[in-house]
Amino acid sequence: MSRLCFAISLCLVPALLFSLLAPARALPPEEAEARAILLEIDELWRASSSQGQVRMQVRTANYTRTLVLETWSKGKDRSLVRISAPLKEKDTASLKSGATMYTYLPRTDRTIRLTSSMMMGSWMGSHFTNDDLVKESRLSEDYAPAITFRGERDGERIVEFTLTPHPEAAVVWGRIVMTVTDRGHLPLVAFYYDDDNNLARTITFHDIKELGGRRLPTRLKVVPADKPGEYTELVYESLRFDLELPDSFFSLLELRRR
Amino acid sequence: MNLLSFALKNCKRSPARTWITIGAMAFAGAIMIFYASLIAGWLAAMERNAVGMDLGELQVHAQGYRDDPDLYKRIEDVETLVAALARAGFAAAPRLFSGGLAAAGNASSGVQLRGVDLDRERELTLLPRHVWQGEWLAAEDPAGAVIGRKLARILGLTVGDEVVLVAQAADGSTANELFRVRGILKSVGEGVDRSGFFLGAAAFRSLLLVPDGAHQLVVKRLDGSEGLAVATSRLARLLPACEVRNWQELQPVLARLLAMSDISLVIMLLITYVAVGILTLNTQLMNVFERIPEIGVMKALGFSPWSIFFLILTESAIQVTAAVLLALAAGLPFSFYFSANPIDFSDFVATSSTIAGVALDAKWYCVVTVDSVLLPVFFLYLIAGLSILYPAGKAALLNPLAAISHR
Repeated sequence: MSRLCFAISLCLVPALLFSLLAPARALPPEEAEARAILLEIDELWRASSSQGQVRMQVRTANYTRTLVLETWSKGKDRSLVRISAPLKEKDTASLKSGATMYTYLPRTDRTIRLTSSMMMGSWMGSHFTNDDLVKESRLSEDYAPAITFRGERDGERIVEFTLTPHPEAAVVWGRIVMTVTDRGHLPLVAFYYDDDNNLARTITFHDIKELGGRRLPTRLKVVPADKPGEYTELVYESLRFDLELPDSFFSLLELRRR
Repeated sequence: MNLLSFALKNCKRSPARTWITIGAMAFAGAIMIFYASLIAGWLAAMERNAVGMDLGELQVHAQGYRDDPDLYKRIEDVETLVAALARAGFAAAPRLFSGGLAAAGNASSGVQLRGVDLDRERELTLLPRHVWQGEWLAAEDPAGAVIGRKLARILGLTVGDEVVLVAQAADGSTANELFRVRGILKSVGEGVDRSGFFLGAAAFRSLLLVPDGAHQLVVKRLDGSEGLAVATSRLARLLPACEVRNWQELQPVLARLLAMSDISLVIMLLITYVAVGILTLNTQLMNVFERIPEIGVMKALGFSPWSIFFLILTESAIQVTAAVLLALAAGLPFSFYFSANPIDFSDFVATSSTIAGVALDAKWYCVVTVDSVLLPVFFLYLIAGLSILYPAGKAALLNPLAAISHR
């Protein structure tokens, strides 16, 4: 699945890798189980590499816009997103390489490296920030997962996780609560809370279908808590996993390719 | 013989002591007159830089804009408003703001994008005349941009270089355009220096798809004698749907700093003059001690204690007055000279030094005001008067018999 997809699906991957690669520190059973399920969820969205097409609709109080995006990802740290529609913004592209983000602007034929001051800015006019795309791969390093509920809710058996930031972590969110189905561990909803424990945004996952040989949610909706009526919705139209993508594909040269 | 001629004669009896006392007071007075005019110049420059350069006397925003700046929170029907304000005795210039990213080569930096009305901005603020390199914006050069000095350094830009500007347009799309650096501003203040990116209003509107409205009206009183608070209330009544703030409300730290500068001058005067006062106290005490038998005789001849007290006081007043005249003669020429020929700290002050976010001028002018002259003079009289109280009181209370036989 695409890097974008991964970002939006709560960035659970690294948590798993971290837990697998971590030295033999004996985790409490609850935390070990939480990490194991996180790994499973992450595997759902992530592969060694991915390619997909996503339709993104952004609705705000001032505009509604729809973008068609092509996405590629490889491993934890490489992703490329290119706008294919509308025509006005066609070929505008974002490249994530490690903790660095670049944007290619076809109108001016320039590539820009985003500075830290721009990381909290909106990504492509959506309700995601550039920081969302960069920091997601560090989620497991910055937060401790714990299962906070397991049982039936709204007629469905679910598992609820709470991610709490480590005391020294420099993170945006004060707490993340996510819910997955007990069977299959498919994400259902994630709540993001700020440092004052106020709900900041909600991501809901819908339309579970088979894409790229995997059964997963194909529609994600991000709703900011402080802007009623606004949302960003991502619909995955196609996905392919485990492609042969060379590292050079995620280069500045490729970013500029039209 | 009257008290004044008596006092004058006494002053002449020990000319060396008298002239040393006068000289010390005159020296301190001259220094303080010069210092007070320097401080007055500094305050005037601070206020000019803050208010005249960027802040303006008054600012008008749409409700809620200041708390949560937003491209969409605009003052509508700007032309009608500006015309109405002109009829009410205010000059106004609309401004547009947005966040963005400027990039050149491998460097990029967040910027505050400002769209300014080229003609009105020139009438209202000093900014268009505060260009360090190159030129201010011009209508015939829509691709020209003027940027802050630190921003130019961060991006490695000089006049004529290309710079890419990226921002989110009003329709949510990614606005991006190539501009050419037309001018680089002198130091204005931390905000403008580090992130100021100025465009003509037309270029701003075209880039960010903002067809009308303005985020800010910067306003100036046409009648400068109208009090700032009165003008603020009057403007607020004229624009009930908008937020109106004067510069003191917008920059309370700066307003307090300027208000406290008067206090700092008084403290400086007191510190300097206390040293002079101690010298005066010492010389006048010596003066009294040397004249104890003489004062005893005067009292025996019928001089009252009050006469003796006022005699000593008058002697001191003559010396202070002479010192004040000398201080004015020595201090004022310096103040007037440096009001025309500034002290240049360019080699010592960093290119963008600021206090409370306001740029410091590397050239420091003196400004001679009534206060800058009268305050040092008044405090010189005050401290000298206080320091003479003890010697004068001691002389007034001498016992005539004991004093006459004093050796």
